[in-house]
Amino acid sequence: MELLIGAWNYFLNKQDLMIAVLKEHVNLVLWATLLTILIGAPLGILIARTQKARDIVLGSVSVLYTIPILAFFGFLIPIMGIGTRPALIALVIYGLLPVIRNSCVGITQVHPMIKEAARGMGTNNWQLLFKVEIPLAFPVIFAGIRTALVMNFSLATYAVFIGAGGMGRIIMQGIRTYNTSMLLAGILMVVITTVLLERIIGYVDRRIQKRFSLGE
Amino acid sequence: MTREISVELQKVSKLYGQDKVVNEVSLTVEKGEIFVLIGPSGCGKTTTLKMINQLIPHTSGNILVNGIDVAELDAVELRRSIGYVIQYIGLLPHLTIQENIAFVLKLTKQSKKVQKEKAEELIETVGLPLNYLTRYPRELSGGQQQRVGVARALAANPDILLMDEPFGAVDPLTREQLQNELLRLQESIRKTIVFVTHDIQEAFKVGSRIGILKQGELVSLGTPMEIVKTDDEFVKSFIGQGALFEVLDTIEVSRVIEKEIPLVRENEKVDHTADILSGWDNVFVVDADQNCLGYLPLNTLKPDGSFNKNQIVPLPVSSTPDISVKFAVEKMLWEGRTWLPIVDKQAGFKGIVLFRSCADLLAGDRG
Repeated sequence: MELLIGAWNYFLNKQDLMIAVLKEHVNLVLWATLLTILIGAPLGILIARTQKARDIVLGSVSVLYTIPILAFFGFLIPIMGIGTRPALIALVIYGLLPVIRNSCVGITQVHPMIKEAARGMGTNNWQLLFKVEIPLAFPVIFAGIRTALVMNFSLATYAVFIGAGGMGRIIMQGIRTYNTSMLLAGILMVVITTVLLERIIGYVDRRIQKRFSLGE
Repeated sequence: MTREISVELQKVSKLYGQDKVVNEVSLTVEKGEIFVLIGPSGCGKTTTLKMINQLIPHTSGNILVNGIDVAELDAVELRRSIGYVIQYIGLLPHLTIQENIAFVLKLTKQSKKVQKEKAEELIETVGLPLNYLTRYPRELSGGQQQRVGVARALAANPDILLMDEPFGAVDPLTREQLQNELLRLQESIRKTIVFVTHDIQEAFKVGSRIGILKQGELVSLGTPMEIVKTDDEFVKSFIGQGALFEVLDTIEVSRVIEKEIPLVRENEKVDHTADILSGWDNVFVVDADQNCLGYLPLNTLKPDGSFNKNQIVPLPVSSTPDISVKFAVEKMLWEGRTWLPIVDKQAGFKGIVLFRSCADLLAGDRG
C-alpha cells in the first residue's frame, strides 16, 4: 500500500515528465505502425497472388520476428547509431509479420466465386482489388494491424535502450536509482495505457467486424 | 423471317496443356432464344460459356458476339456489355442489394441517381419488395439472392445474358419457381440467353435449343423435341427414359390445336358439300359469341343439313390453351377419348386437340 501511495505521489509530482514520455511513446508507436501498414499491407496483398512469393516473404519475415529485440538493437546500433530512427526500424520489422500475414490471408480467403462474379460483370484488375478484394479482406487485415499496434505499444518500452525514450525511461530510471515509487509508477502507466489501447482498438475492431461481417 | 445471330462459336477449342477441354465446338445462338449447354461434369460446358465473355480465353477458333470477334474487343468492356449470372453466392457480401444490382453501373461511373433508379426498377422486375434494397445479401434467402443475381445481370441492359448453373444451389421447389419466373421474365425482356446446367429437366424446361457436350465435343444440338428423338446412344442414356414426357410437359397444347375444324352457327344449316367436313365425324356448334354449345355427329343430321337443338351433344370438360401436351395426353388417356376441346377464358372456343396430333409431334420428322 505504501508503495502504491509512493507511486501515486510520484505520478502527481512529475506529471510533466509522465506526459512527455507518453508523448514520445505514442509518437514512436504511431509512426511505426503507420509505416508497418504502408509497407506490410501492399506487400501482403501482392504476395497473395503467388505461392512462391508468399513462402519467401512470410518465411523471411518470420525469421526476423523471432530475433529478440535487444539483439536487434545490438545489430542496428553499429549501422544507424542510437535514437528514434533505429527504434522505429525495429518496431516496423516486428509489426510486419502480423500485417503482411493477415493481408495475404485476407485476400486469399475471398471466395473465388465472388471474384469471378465481379470479373464477369466487368471489373478491371484495380476495381477487383479495391471494390471487392480489399473490402472483403479488410476485417482480417485490420485484425493484423490491431495485433501489430498492441504489440508495438508494449515493445516500445524497450526503445529506451536505444535512446528513443518512451515510457521505458521511467522504468529504467526507477531500476537504476532504486526508486521503487518511480519504478512502480512507470510499470502501472505502461500496463494501464496498454490495456486502454487494447480496449479502444478492440471496440473499433468489433465495429468493423460487424459492419463487414460475412457470417450467416 | 431472317434470324439474327447474337453469339457464334466457330471451331472453338480450349487447351490446358495437352488437355483438350473444349474441342472444335461450333454453334450459333439466335437473338432472343434461350440456348442451353448441358452435359456431365467436366464436359466443358462452363468453359464454353466463360469463353463467350472471355473469363477464359479460347485457344483457337473464333467467337463472335453480335457479329464482332471477341479477340478484337477489350475483355473488360465485353463483360460489361454481357449480363452474367452465377449461383447466388456470387453476390458481393459487403454491398447492399442496391449496390449489388447497380454494380456494373458503378463500374462504368454512372451517377448515383441513375444507379438508384435502375436498382429500384430492377428489383421490381424480379419481384422483390423495394425495401430489400438497403439489406445485405446474407439477410435474404437463397432464392431471393438468386433473383438479385438476375436483376444485377440486367442492370447495364445487355442484349445477352450468360447464366452458369444459376439455380444449382437452391432447393428443388425454389428452383422450379425461379425457372418459371425466368420464362415469364423472358417473355417481356427477350434477351439472348446462354444457359449452362447439368439438370436435363431444367434444360428441357427453359431451353429453346439445347446443345449436349461430351468430353469437350458437341454431340447433339437441337430443340428439346429434336434432342429427344436423337438416336445417339450417349444422348439417350444422358437424357434418360422419362425425357419424352419432360419435353411434352414443356410444349403448350396450343401448338397442336386443330384450328380448321367444321363449325356451324346454332341457327344455320350444315353444308354437307363443304370440303372442311371431309375426314370429320362431328361438326361443332357455336353461338354468336364464339361459345361452343356442343357438337353434332354428322350421321344424326337431317338430309338438308338442319338439326334440332336437342341433338347437340354437350362438350366434355374443356381445357385452356396453356396446358402442356403431356397434360392433355394424360387427360385423354384418363377419359378414354381421342380429342379434347380447348376453350380460352377470354376468346372462347379455340378448337380441339387430337390425340393423333400429339403423337405426330413425336413421329414428326423421324421419317
